[in-house]
Amino acid sequence: MSVREHKLKVGVSGVRGVVGEFFTPALTAALSQAFGTYVGRGRVVVGRDTRPSGEMILHSVRCGLLAAGCEVIDTGILPTPTIQVYIAATKANGGIAITASHNPPEYNALKFFNGQGLFCNTYERGELIDLWHQSDFHHAHNADMRRVVTELNVPKRIHFERVLSHVDVERIRRRRFRVALDAVNGAGSLLSVEFLREHLNCELHAIAVDPTKPFPRVAEPRPDTLGDLQALVRETGCDIGFAQDPDGDRLAVCDETGNVLDNDDVLALAIDACLSRLPGDVVVNLTTSSVIDDIAARHGRRVFRTPVGEANVVERMQSVQAVIGGEGSNGGIIFPAVQYCRDSYNGMAFLLDLMAATGQSVTQLAARLPRYTRRLGSVAYQHGRLAALMQSVEDAFTAPAVDRTDGLKLIWPGRWIHVRSSNTEPILRFAVESTTEREADEMFQRVKEFAL
Amino acid sequence: MSTRALRISHVGLRGVVGNGLTATHVLDFASAFGTFLDLPASRAPVVVGRDPRLSGLMLREGVVSALLATGHNVVDLGLVSTPVIQHAITRLGAPGGISIGASHNDAHWNALKFFGREAAYLSTTQATELLDIYHLRNFRFVPYNQLGALSADSTSIGAYLSSLAGAFDFDRLRRFRVVVDCCNGTSSLLLQRMNEEYGFSFILINAATDGGQFAHSPATNSRTVALQLAPLIQPLNAQAGFLFDVDSDRVALATDRGDPVSEELVFPLIADHVLPKSEGRTVITNLSTTALIDEVVARHSGRLLRAPVGRQAAIDALSAFRPGQVAMAGEGTGAIMFARFPYIYDGIVSMLTILEMLAERGQPLSAILATYPRFSMLKGEVPLATTRIPALLMSLQEQFSGGIADTSDGLRIDWPPTETAPQRWFHVRVAQTEPIVRVICEQRGAPPYALHDALMDHVRSFS
Repeated sequence: MSVREHKLKVGVSGVRGVVGEFFTPALTAALSQAFGTYVGRGRVVVGRDTRPSGEMILHSVRCGLLAAGCEVIDTGILPTPTIQVYIAATKANGGIAITASHNPPEYNALKFFNGQGLFCNTYERGELIDLWHQSDFHHAHNADMRRVVTELNVPKRIHFERVLSHVDVERIRRRRFRVALDAVNGAGSLLSVEFLREHLNCELHAIAVDPTKPFPRVAEPRPDTLGDLQALVRETGCDIGFAQDPDGDRLAVCDETGNVLDNDDVLALAIDACLSRLPGDVVVNLTTSSVIDDIAARHGRRVFRTPVGEANVVERMQSVQAVIGGEGSNGGIIFPAVQYCRDSYNGMAFLLDLMAATGQSVTQLAARLPRYTRRLGSVAYQHGRLAALMQSVEDAFTAPAVDRTDGLKLIWPGRWIHVRSSNTEPILRFAVESTTEREADEMFQRVKEFAL
Repeated sequence: MSTRALRISHVGLRGVVGNGLTATHVLDFASAFGTFLDLPASRAPVVVGRDPRLSGLMLREGVVSALLATGHNVVDLGLVSTPVIQHAITRLGAPGGISIGASHNDAHWNALKFFGREAAYLSTTQATELLDIYHLRNFRFVPYNQLGALSADSTSIGAYLSSLAGAFDFDRLRRFRVVVDCCNGTSSLLLQRMNEEYGFSFILINAATDGGQFAHSPATNSRTVALQLAPLIQPLNAQAGFLFDVDSDRVALATDRGDPVSEELVFPLIADHVLPKSEGRTVITNLSTTALIDEVVARHSGRLLRAPVGRQAAIDALSAFRPGQVAMAGEGTGAIMFARFPYIYDGIVSMLTILEMLAERGQPLSAILATYPRFSMLKGEVPLATTRIPALLMSLQEQFSGGIADTSDGLRIDWPPTETAPQRWFHVRVAQTEPIVRVICEQRGAPPYALHDALMDHVRSFS
């Protein structure tokens, strides 16, 4: 069975679609009016990434919010975490980010944030979608119609101040690191240059930092898409390379040899840096590497596991008062002292701070991490297939510990298997991890046979 | 929802924002317009502007988004009058434009007016196609890499004013002392610039353009002129007073003596000045306009064409002529169009024309108006179930015989003067926007009370 393409997806983090036939201005205006109705007639922050459809969608979002009687604070082109920080810092009623994050350029999406700058939770989302489906909108009349206010510079200032207050800026500045950057011409283009060059005094070698240009590579910062950054690091002899996705929430890291680090290792290094300063527990999703448990153990801290999805991680972080969290596979570091959101700027700051504190290179830092081998796979979703797959995997492997909170995870000392369905696409995902490559390959092969 | 809160018709989209007119209507209608307009090879932008109503901000956002989504580049002129938008469409070679504003309606209303190439109002066939696209919801949304781009243009008022400076002798007109009631509309922006850049001395009242509410109704008639404008004329020693609706396409006036001028007189007054200078001999008006216009047009050997009431009928009538054949078009609402600015109803041009007339005649406005024969008009309206209307019209035609009947818009009967009775006429028609029968009758000399009472009784007997 071929994978059905979802050209419109009403999902956990917002509503996403292909611009043109499905993601139309009427749709985004109606969603925005529903959101304005839901959060009430106050200030609503709006920002966007650099997709060509951003301007068109922006105006429909402003239209829907004004129609609901909201005052629109338009922050222009900004990374999603910057928007979230600004919502929380200014006590706005909520906010909308116009970004399809790491998805290809033909997509765009609306992401909805509550007054704390958090992704709307399941219950908030349910109410919002109900309002939308019922077209149960507040309609402002002329006399109580509010305006659009443009706020371009304050949000990044607040965001940077918060991020930099948790690292030793002077120590980083003194090192004058040579840093390579690939901002995919996304929302982070201008901000990241300023952040690294001005605030952290790096010798910056940047590519794809023109927000007016199209994405020069696959939007998701994966090892197989970062050839230009790797080459740049090697040519310029940089200490480290950073790659962002178009809305600046995800971060990929390249060491000084041009090798792209595993995202779980990046998260582990960030957690290591964080826990050295701030004592507390850690939350990651079920598919994130056990390397996190080992690092937390070094600091004597606990790790809580949640179903996959930023909202799930954030909710658990709030309930257990975690100091840091994230999701390994998709490059998200969540540091609530700045804001409960995935934030590539926290990642960059933490890594540079760790390098400055230890005097070690990225390869040396990564070498200190316990070594695991992970294998990831996916297969087209068929209804009822997940349950059958879970049962056959469970029958075939007898594990001392089983977690059923998101599909099925079987856990042994030093290895695990996880099968689950994707939140955003009609596919089943399966992952295995082990301390040895041979065992990982073997488990992966067997799980794949059940799945196919 | 009351039937008066939203009207989607050949002349566009109009409604009370919030009660009837919503963001969804705006997006869908503008998407239909973006689909209707061909994408020009030149990528010339569609022109957008708005009047100061606060809701205009919301409408503007929807209009811009829909036009970008249908592949059009958009140029936003900001806060401007409808004639400035039309002027920019021509100047920029635009495929069309949208004026956001509800002109003479109260502040809680808003509307979209659509223009095609050369700033022409859409013909009925074009408007029908637009409505069909709107109802089918089959919009031509382009892929993400073919979307339009938005730009702003703050030069449009300046370019418009320099065109006016080329068409009128500003040196001669700027010496007039004139009071203007801007009704908190876009005329305020234009006239302030004429004061600053061209040395006019317009005294402006209700000039704030914050758009929340208006000082009074922006309808262009003698009642609104009487509210604030007329009483100021003599204390300020002014030579005339003008009142514009919010998007400045219509005008009403007060004389040098501080008297409000009947809205019916504005068009004949201007025709009396313009027609002798015009190449074209045809004047277009509607069936409800005063018979004084017949006299004025006849005096200058022109030809009067009476179309059904409504802008669309006037546009269709106009399109049947070659450029140059028509001298002007207008009606008793203060909306007047000139041959040198085809398709543009422009209150500012109407005002400048009247000032030009004062300058040429060397007479005060009150004295010029006193030269016209007196006609007296009476108006009434009766709500009526729409099913009863055909029977009413047939019955009226039987009851009131002996005149010349015109049934192109309800019923109009004209009685030429006889030895015993003066010239008179009546027009009974159904309002386009609501189920109301409008009764208008007019007589040379004294008001036709008996005729009016008989008509109203007859109409009421059907309600």
